[in-house]
Amino acid sequence: MAPPLNTSTESFDALYRDCARDLYAYVRTLLGDDAGAEDVTALAFERAYRRRETFDPGRGSRRGWLFGIARNAALDELRRRKRSAPLVGDLPDETAPAPDEEADLAIRRTTVRAALATLPPRERELVALKFHGGLTNAELAGVLGTSETNAATRVHRAVSKLREACNATA
Amino acid sequence: MRPRDTFTPEQERELEALDRALLGEPVEFELRELEELVHDIRATAPQMRPAFAARLEHELREGFPAPREQPSRVRGVRRRWILLPALGSLAAVLVALVVVVGGDRNDATSTLAGEATQVPGKGASRSAGAAQDQAASAPSAARSAPVAQPPPAAVDVAPSARKVQRSASLTLQTPAGDFDRTVADVQARVASFGGIVAGAQIGESDAHGGEATFDLRIPTAKLDGALAALAKLGDVTERSQSIDDITGSFASARERLADARAERRGLLRTLERATTQAQIDSLKARLRSVGGRIAALERELASLRRRADLATVTLSLRGTGQRGATGGGQWTPGDAASDAVRVLEVVAGVALIALAVLAPAALLGAAIAIGVRTGRRRRREAALDPA
Repeated sequence: MAPPLNTSTESFDALYRDCARDLYAYVRTLLGDDAGAEDVTALAFERAYRRRETFDPGRGSRRGWLFGIARNAALDELRRRKRSAPLVGDLPDETAPAPDEEADLAIRRTTVRAALATLPPRERELVALKFHGGLTNAELAGVLGTSETNAATRVHRAVSKLREACNATA
Repeated sequence: MRPRDTFTPEQERELEALDRALLGEPVEFELRELEELVHDIRATAPQMRPAFAARLEHELREGFPAPREQPSRVRGVRRRWILLPALGSLAAVLVALVVVVGGDRNDATSTLAGEATQVPGKGASRSAGAAQDQAASAPSAARSAPVAQPPPAAVDVAPSARKVQRSASLTLQTPAGDFDRTVADVQARVASFGGIVAGAQIGESDAHGGEATFDLRIPTAKLDGALAALAKLGDVTERSQSIDDITGSFASARERLADARAERRGLLRTLERATTQAQIDSLKARLRSVGGRIAALERELASLRRRADLATVTLSLRGTGQRGATGGGQWTPGDAASDAVRVLEVVAGVALIALAVLAPAALLGAAIAIGVRTGRRRRREAALDPA
């Protein structure tokens, strides 16, 4: 069992190493640009670091707590910009397969990107939290402020739409 | 854990397969599509630039020395919200103190207000204030008071002729040093209200400070004033009043007296017309008997009138502490225990009042907090809606 955050800076270090890349991927998906995603990711870690003594293990996991902080920061940034999140499909394709990758893999990823772009922003965020963040449904519920059942239902609906969109695109 | 009855079995399988795929565990063959989806989406995940990763790691090592955000006015307001429960508690305690202190200032009155007046015959009780109102307007009180006497209609007595007997009992505590003076004050105050001390038992003891019991008769019309004046002579530890409607007894005695007098007049008229010695002797014997009845009924009526006109008050006076001590006696362990109990009573009262104020305030605060939180969440999430 991980030591409580408020008693160990090393523990926060471990949380950082465990979550940093996933958190960035989620924030980047939500905001749609590198500069904003870097600012918000750094802000989220800073807030979490300063509030680490307030973390209550009885109210959820450390990962869920961190993603909740990041989500609030990202949504505040979106509100500040007065615009909604750009589509994932608009993003530069940083992860294009290398020339030696199989062609069908490249096609599949392009299909997935296009399918993600068809999802409404709320479902896209849900997919990012689930797939990039790797949150369990209980953690998702904590981040979204809803019940675990509702979180699972929303995940299932988003994934179903995504699968349909992938099949349609393919 | 998902409630199993919320999803169809197929949905359950898909969700479980998704979770397994996200954990990197194998999934069943038919749901391999989900596994591939997880791989593909994760493969498209945006990656941190190495420069940013290095900078972030450096900041973490330094403990984020340069804060990105300054405490804003909003955050300040949020902190002040935290003080609200404390302010509410303080206000509740102040209210409680005002109530308690205000109540202590009129201790005799407040004690009276908490007492009950027993109405003989039914065992019913009502507040002393109500009892005093009853005494002030005896006719209406008699109508409303359940008594053992026959109902008003049965005795056919006009409301203004109602007769009510009142009695009261008062127990006072006074410092042993003031005991003798208080005894004298009792007699003086009773006299000032036109009452009399019908009997008294006064005992003095160095150990207990003295005890006295007075049997007082006080004009019913002045009873309330006299009780209030007597209560000021010490600390009231017990007080009770009772009201007995004697209208039925009074009316019955008066009617029987009128009948007896009429009978005597009739006998006298018959005696005037009597012709034989035997008739005269018989009538005289009956006249003696009727005369005796009339005298007894007159005594009964007089007694009932006295009972109605003079209230009976039993006053018990107890001296506390040791005699001879100045300023009301020394402070003894008994006094300390008594004070401790009083302090505990006040603390319990304050706590109760504070709870009564805080409980609704806490509920309201919780509702407001939930509302504010929900509103803030919705405003944030509105950023996800298309412009």
